[in-house]
Amino acid sequence: MPKKARRNEAANISPGPHFLKPGKYYLQGSEACIEGALMAGCRVYAGYPITPAVETMEYASRRFPQVGGRFIQMEDEIASACALIGSSWGGAKALTATSGPGFSLMQEAISIAVMSETPMVIVDIQRAGPGQGYITASQQDVMQARWGHHGDGPIIALAPASVQEMFDLTIEAFTLSEQWRTPVLVMTEETVAHMREPLVIPPWNEVEVRERKKPQDLGIPPGDYLPWGHNTVAPMANWGEGYNVNFVALVHLEDGNITRYSPQANYHCVERLQKKIEGNADGITRIEAKFLENCKHLIICYGAVSRTAMEAAIEACEEGLEVGYLRLITLWPFPEEKLRRIVGTVDTIFVPEMNLGMMRHPITEALRDQCRKVVSIPSLGILHSPEYILSKVREETS
Amino acid sequence: MSAQGIVDREGRMSKTPRFEIRIAGFGGQGVVTIGRILGEAFTIYEGKNSVNTHSYGPESRGGACKSEVVVSEGEIHYPNVRKADLLIALSQVGLDTYISDLKEGGIVLVDPRSVKNVPDRDKYRVHEVPTMDIAHEIGGVKFQNSVALGALYPLIAHMIKESSLRQGISNNVPSETVEINMEAFKRGMRYAKEGKAE
Amino acid sequence: MLKYLKEEGPLGPRLPLIFCPGCGSGQVLNYTLYAVDRIIEEDNVRKENFLFISGIGCSGRITSHYMNFDSAWTIHGRALAIATGALLANPAFKIIVFTGDGDNASIGGNHFIHACRRNIDVTILCLNNGLYGMTGGQHAPTTPLGMITTTTPYENREAAFDLCKLAEIAGATYVARWTTAHPRQVIKSIMKGVRKRGTAFIEILSQCPVHEKASPVAILKRFKRDTIPIRRAEGPAEGKTLIGEFCDLDRKEWNESYQEIIDQFLAGSG
Repeated sequence: MPKKARRNEAANISPGPHFLKPGKYYLQGSEACIEGALMAGCRVYAGYPITPAVETMEYASRRFPQVGGRFIQMEDEIASACALIGSSWGGAKALTATSGPGFSLMQEAISIAVMSETPMVIVDIQRAGPGQGYITASQQDVMQARWGHHGDGPIIALAPASVQEMFDLTIEAFTLSEQWRTPVLVMTEETVAHMREPLVIPPWNEVEVRERKKPQDLGIPPGDYLPWGHNTVAPMANWGEGYNVNFVALVHLEDGNITRYSPQANYHCVERLQKKIEGNADGITRIEAKFLENCKHLIICYGAVSRTAMEAAIEACEEGLEVGYLRLITLWPFPEEKLRRIVGTVDTIFVPEMNLGMMRHPITEALRDQCRKVVSIPSLGILHSPEYILSKVREETS
Repeated sequence: MSAQGIVDREGRMSKTPRFEIRIAGFGGQGVVTIGRILGEAFTIYEGKNSVNTHSYGPESRGGACKSEVVVSEGEIHYPNVRKADLLIALSQVGLDTYISDLKEGGIVLVDPRSVKNVPDRDKYRVHEVPTMDIAHEIGGVKFQNSVALGALYPLIAHMIKESSLRQGISNNVPSETVEINMEAFKRGMRYAKEGKAE
Repeated sequence: MLKYLKEEGPLGPRLPLIFCPGCGSGQVLNYTLYAVDRIIEEDNVRKENFLFISGIGCSGRITSHYMNFDSAWTIHGRALAIATGALLANPAFKIIVFTGDGDNASIGGNHFIHACRRNIDVTILCLNNGLYGMTGGQHAPTTPLGMITTTTPYENREAAFDLCKLAEIAGATYVARWTTAHPRQVIKSIMKGVRKRGTAFIEILSQCPVHEKASPVAILKRFKRDTIPIRRAEGPAEGKTLIGEFCDLDRKEWNESYQEIIDQFLAGSG
């Protein structure tokens, strides 16, 4: 993950004495996420307490002011998500962490962030649902991540599977959000948020960090600036820079005009958003694949469940069942083309999820012609055990 | 140690031996803290890899509460205990719930004041240490963790240094209680080695 | 004031405004620009520092359509949450929020009381017409008892908020109420509000001739007749609405206070 520097000198941020020195730490996933955010240059956290995201928030309340950032506990999740929008347009990278019920409340704000192309990062530490559900882990919001905000418009969602990835993928989330001018979701589970594992923190100046492109960078003066134009990803002028920029989340033209409405204008405005992300899915998405050569069956997994799935895949191979392993690091945009290219022809695809079967749908849609059957392996309230996944694999393949 | 390392089809070691520890008791007994200290000690001070998890839910208040540490030299995939090598049971309910998940020949560390009965005790290596009594002698039940860790040390001395455990404890207790926790650790260790705390 | 208006806004050329004939919004826009102009001249504040944020409703259309400043036309009730976020990124913004009685006190109620409680540095201009204008005249939390509206066809049975009392109790440090028929007072209050470091809440009773089914002149006359300045009211307000400045306090603003926390840590760094 760490690549060559191009970094904080430009953003005028120095680490100071309160940045964690490079080295190995033993932290919770929640804490690793915050350290990743700070490393990425995030300096605003606005959130609302909800189990099991409380640790993330409390850790943020301690760490943010230590590095010159600001932390605020807002009055509810709606306010938190809206504060992220205000902070982003005010020029700062902003973060919040929540769980299912809070995530539902944030959907309107996410929708306007998608439409207005506002960079920001929201972490969903998923718990059992629906309703108030329970406080144990789940992966039940992964569809909501894509379709929860009203209207069309794509989004980026990542699924960390370890404490190290809570750090690395939070940095990546900020990189992607600045690069593509979009809200980015980090979809994790209570399992990963609460587990403690070694975290390797790289030297500050070896971490690649992305800042949004501005019209000033491209030599575009205020008079010529089109807030949603110029490029596939429009350069973003922030408030306070003399660009008289108007934030709006209605269907708009490139210059921000909202009155010259026509069905064509509507189509272009929204289709542009779609193409920006979905059209670049290959470059945006990442997957991890093992044992694919000549495998007969395949386990496709993501998040915490991939820890179990890997163990199960290894043991399946020991038993002589040729089982491949594929992990979705990016859930959305769904890496459809990538999967079709990487997966050959297999017999059965197993999709273990901590929900009643959600990602199994785009997986089926993508690989329907390359397999005989897709089998969903749900587990609610508890992380799958390797024995459980294996028993289902044996059942299907005997 | 559990299963042998497996060489996968890509010719790499993808499964390395794991040492699995489970701590069980009531909420408030320091079950989570012990797990955290062990995880930190093995990882930061012994240079190994470990994953520390704990149960999360109402069973943390008044029912069986557990925390787990899986230790390995290499990558750890499945983060939870499959078949424990070591069980530290601070309550009878904790013991009853998890004893069947302990390997034959595995180590059980219990406090005889709260754990009166270990079913099939001949299948395991049972060590009884009056951690609560020793803690009370020092200053209170909140030092029970350190006593338990001290009593545990001789049983795992082949895989961890005493200083690593001590360092783990110092990092995870309030600074003004470090000295007394070190004393608790010492007494627990002495009891395990010699059958008496002082 | 024309220099502060966009030549061409999202709604087309700046004049004529889209507001209904006789609507109070146009007046409030005018008063605000006068106040902002005086502050830019007298206080040497840069135009870039101003940020106008509005919600949804007729009041929401005052800013982004016309004002040639940084602005945001945001979602219903959430302007103050977005303003809070903007200040977290840059405490130097001079933020003026345009909101209506529904936008601010109904869906935005929670954000309203917390913004006041935190004393964040915003000036809230709440155009109160006692109903939901844009959507056709439904009742609002400020609709007087007994009034007939499109959603209270059998008379409104709910009591109305006193928004200024609410703001004051919640913690705003400058609270005033005027009407669109009090131009000089509104301009002065807006200037005071922007200059005050903290939450300034200025309620401006504003006419909606369309839904009140009365001529704007009649409503303005009513504003003058049925209101009484605080300093002149003795005992109960004789059934009239109090106008004037309810409070003007000094209390540390949120960012000012939080900066002290940050300074503790940055003091040690090089």
